Amino acid sequence: MNSMFYAHLAVQGMRKNGKIYLPYILTSVGIVMMYYIVSYLTYSKSLYNMTGGRDMQMILSWGTGVIAVFSFIFLLYTNSFVMRRRKKEFGLYNILGMGKKNIASILIWETLITFSSSIIAGLGLGILLSKLSELCTAKMLGENISLGFTIEKQAIINSILLFGAVFLLILLNSLRQIHTSKPIELLHSDKSGEKPPKAKWFLAFIGLIILGIAYYISCTIRDPMSALLMFFVAVIMVIVATYILFTVGSVTLCKMLQKNKRYYYKTEHFVSISSMSYRMKRNGASLASICILSTMVLVMISSTLCLYIGKEDSIHNRYPREIAMETYSIDEQYTNAVKGVSEKIVENHNLNIDNLLYYNCLPVAGTLGGSIMKIENTGDYSKLTQLYVFTIDEYNRLMNKNETLENDEIIMYTNKSDYMYHEFTIDGFQSLKIKEQVDEFNKDIVNDSSALSVPVVFIFVSDVEQLNKIYDFQLKQYGDNASLFKNYYGFNLNCEDNEETAIFDEIRYEISNLQSKDENFPSVKTDSVIYNRESFYSMFGGIFFLGILLSVVFIFAAVLIMYYKQITEGYEDADKFEIMQKVGMTKQEIKKSINSQVLTVFFAPLITAGIHTGFAFPILLKLLRLFGLCNTSLLIGITAGSFAVFAIFYVLVYKITSISYYKIVSKQ
Amino acid sequence: MTILEVQCVEKIYTTRFGGNHVQALSNVSFTVEHGEYVAIMGESGSGKTTLLNILAALDKPTKGDIILEGKPLSTIKEKEMTSFRRDNLGFVFQDFNLLDTFSLKDNIFLPLVLSGKKAQTMERRLQPIAEKLGIKQLLNKYPYEVSGGQKQRAAVARALITNPKLILADEPTGALDSRSSDSLLKVFNDINQEGQTIIMVTHSTKAASHAGRVLFIKDGEVFHQIYRGNSSNDEMYQKISDTLTLLLTTGGDRNE
Ligand SMILES: Nc1ncnc2c1ncn2[C@@H]1O[C@H](COP(=O)(O)OP(=O)(O)OP(=O)(O)O)[C@@H](O)[C@H]1O
Ligand SMILES: [Mg+2]
Repeated sequence: MNSMFYAHLAVQGMRKNGKIYLPYILTSVGIVMMYYIVSYLTYSKSLYNMTGGRDMQMILSWGTGVIAVFSFIFLLYTNSFVMRRRKKEFGLYNILGMGKKNIASILIWETLITFSSSIIAGLGLGILLSKLSELCTAKMLGENISLGFTIEKQAIINSILLFGAVFLLILLNSLRQIHTSKPIELLHSDKSGEKPPKAKWFLAFIGLIILGIAYYISCTIRDPMSALLMFFVAVIMVIVATYILFTVGSVTLCKMLQKNKRYYYKTEHFVSISSMSYRMKRNGASLASICILSTMVLVMISSTLCLYIGKEDSIHNRYPREIAMETYSIDEQYTNAVKGVSEKIVENHNLNIDNLLYYNCLPVAGTLGGSIMKIENTGDYSKLTQLYVFTIDEYNRLMNKNETLENDEIIMYTNKSDYMYHEFTIDGFQSLKIKEQVDEFNKDIVNDSSALSVPVVFIFVSDVEQLNKIYDFQLKQYGDNASLFKNYYGFNLNCEDNEETAIFDEIRYEISNLQSKDENFPSVKTDSVIYNRESFYSMFGGIFFLGILLSVVFIFAAVLIMYYKQITEGYEDADKFEIMQKVGMTKQEIKKSINSQVLTVFFAPLITAGIHTGFAFPILLKLLRLFGLCNTSLLIGITAGSFAVFAIFYVLVYKITSISYYKIVSKQ
Repeated sequence: MTILEVQCVEKIYTTRFGGNHVQALSNVSFTVEHGEYVAIMGESGSGKTTLLNILAALDKPTKGDIILEGKPLSTIKEKEMTSFRRDNLGFVFQDFNLLDTFSLKDNIFLPLVLSGKKAQTMERRLQPIAEKLGIKQLLNKYPYEVSGGQKQRAAVARALITNPKLILADEPTGALDSRSSDSLLKVFNDINQEGQTIIMVTHSTKAASHAGRVLFIKDGEVFHQIYRGNSSNDEMYQKISDTLTLLLTTGGDRNE
């Protein structure tokens, strides 16, 4: 009976504050749904059985982690808006003689109601939509699936456990707030203005420094591997700096504008600036959140879309030719055998070898400091460099040149732009004079090698003898871990996919025959684009899919923050504008002052998100290199496009939410 | 010359769901001359605030009209009304209506900002008023940081700062101790001497005794009025208390 009374009060309170509660419940429904869908996909058997499905599930399971952390932070955040409005009511109950224990029971009821409704609705929607998302994934992986309807028990259990814990923590947080504040504070919690943070210049300085370092990291990072490591560090630094700068920035801006009497005491600015400074910290935090979410969406969408669109590029860079054999020897006895087998089989199929690429080289890893390359394991991975040694004859053949070299001379090509020495010393072996540092070498070879995440140096030496000497030297240095010579023989075919795979299988079979006949026959790595394409597609498809999912979640969050910002401010401002009208402000002036508020702050997050994305660009480019994609113009285009689309969306959402603000303010 | 003419004003409030009707004013008529100082007295709930709101065109009467400087309020458009109110009327609200987001100073400046005055002009006008009302030290505080009486004085300052022709004050001394209400009444006397018209609702006989005329409202009608004539404040005080006693007894009669 008694507990029903509190349940009744809880329902009543929620209904009365529907404008605040409804979006809160909708948010949690949406997040539960998202979580269930992603978690469903990671458990789905049919996805597991698709080619590449397992890669995809691995990427998605990473996504469930992100959504879990995010949902906690975000629900806590939205709940704070709800609490802010409810506190006054609780304060009143408290003063009228309701104990804090009883208030706690109301809160427990409210949380129970919110939790159960969002779990029921969220799981319901999630189960309905999970099939659809499975179809989407299948489409991305290029597969068909049966139209059965399945429910993953484990995913349901996980969702209930996760959100049970999230809501429990939120409840505890609210209880703590109620418990620690005095009734009069509760009653006036929406009246008192926010105090500006202390030491704001120092804070601003720290914020700027952190942001500067993050930008610096992004702009100066050289190789993809450290980009991967530093990316998350930089992301966290940018997030921290954005929060600091937006908070301090909005406070400082308000103070500055308030000091400027000419500007401040204008009808359009007067109201908006004073209310901005009244809720400056909250304002700063909301704007920073919007900015960060926008940046995340922009970065994720543009990079994953770029990967997805550029996947053929990436495959081509990684596999310059459709069929390729890498023989780990340059002994013509063997290389010609491999070549002969391939030519014969292609001829048997009445086809021609297309776009042939073949070369011999010696790949050696080492550490490069200045102009000195150490061929030994120094443990200093930051200077790790991949060296490719070719003979000058190979260079001349591949590049149609006619260069000759002395014994101690080389020609060099490198993607390390800061190599500016006149010699190249292999430590303990020989110092080689650089006759010329060329700025072009066969693109397919260069792209293939730059898929490696370390800097690469190509040197072209005088003759085979010199090549052999280097081979012997590194053999002596590395012993069992020494590199082998590599002969690459790759070509394209003009035929259907299934004929091409048939040819590839035949070649592979013939080569293994050769190997079993001669025990000295070197190992041969065979690659077919068709075989690899699937796993590329599933990986890139998975990443793109996850990018879209997370972007949807983040956009959703950003929209909600905007909505909450407008709604709560609307309620706070409604009384204010009523008084204004009594003192003599016309409806037009009210509209104008609302607009002024907008222009001063609302577009700051969008602009900052644009700047963040711009500075993230270099590091993204390096990261995409990890996937063998070096198409700068594609990334620029897609990023700019996403920004434009996002900006339009942002303005639209802004317009819509500001209409609801105006409605509340003018009490329509 | 007449500044204000109230003609047979009636106000009926309809509650939210249209069920109950409350007759706040039934038939109020009186006129106010330029430079007059009028006090309105009456029991709680007799319709004083309602009347004042209608005078300031914050609310519309159900019947009758208000003629302000020869112009019926019902003929003024909503948009003109706001600027008219801003330039000609100063209103002290019973519940202050100060804005939490503004410091007291900015609250006081509000009507001047709305009419586009320069910052220096505003400062210059503020100083003497703040001095007289004794809130000079509090100007940079926010409403939630000051006492009720201090808020009330700030609300008075906001009504006075535009130098309005007509001041409408709803219990301006309600939250003040006798010393601050004395100084507030002195301010009112001074500005009245300078020619401004004041209409003040009050429960305090002492406050009313400063006025040139006192209107008594009962059951939504003007029940009685007394003029000062040549009497002193003390004599006026006596007249008012007599009338109030009368009011109470006849009220008792009617209720029987
Ligand atoms: N907005 C409203 N809706 C319905 N009834 C109202 C409204 N405002 C006032 N009333 C009623 O009209 C009557 C007159 O109210 P008013 O506020 O004018 O009284 P008052 O004379 O100012 O009283 P007090 O001295 O207590 O301020 C009261 O009975 C009140 O309940
Ligand atoms: Mg009243």
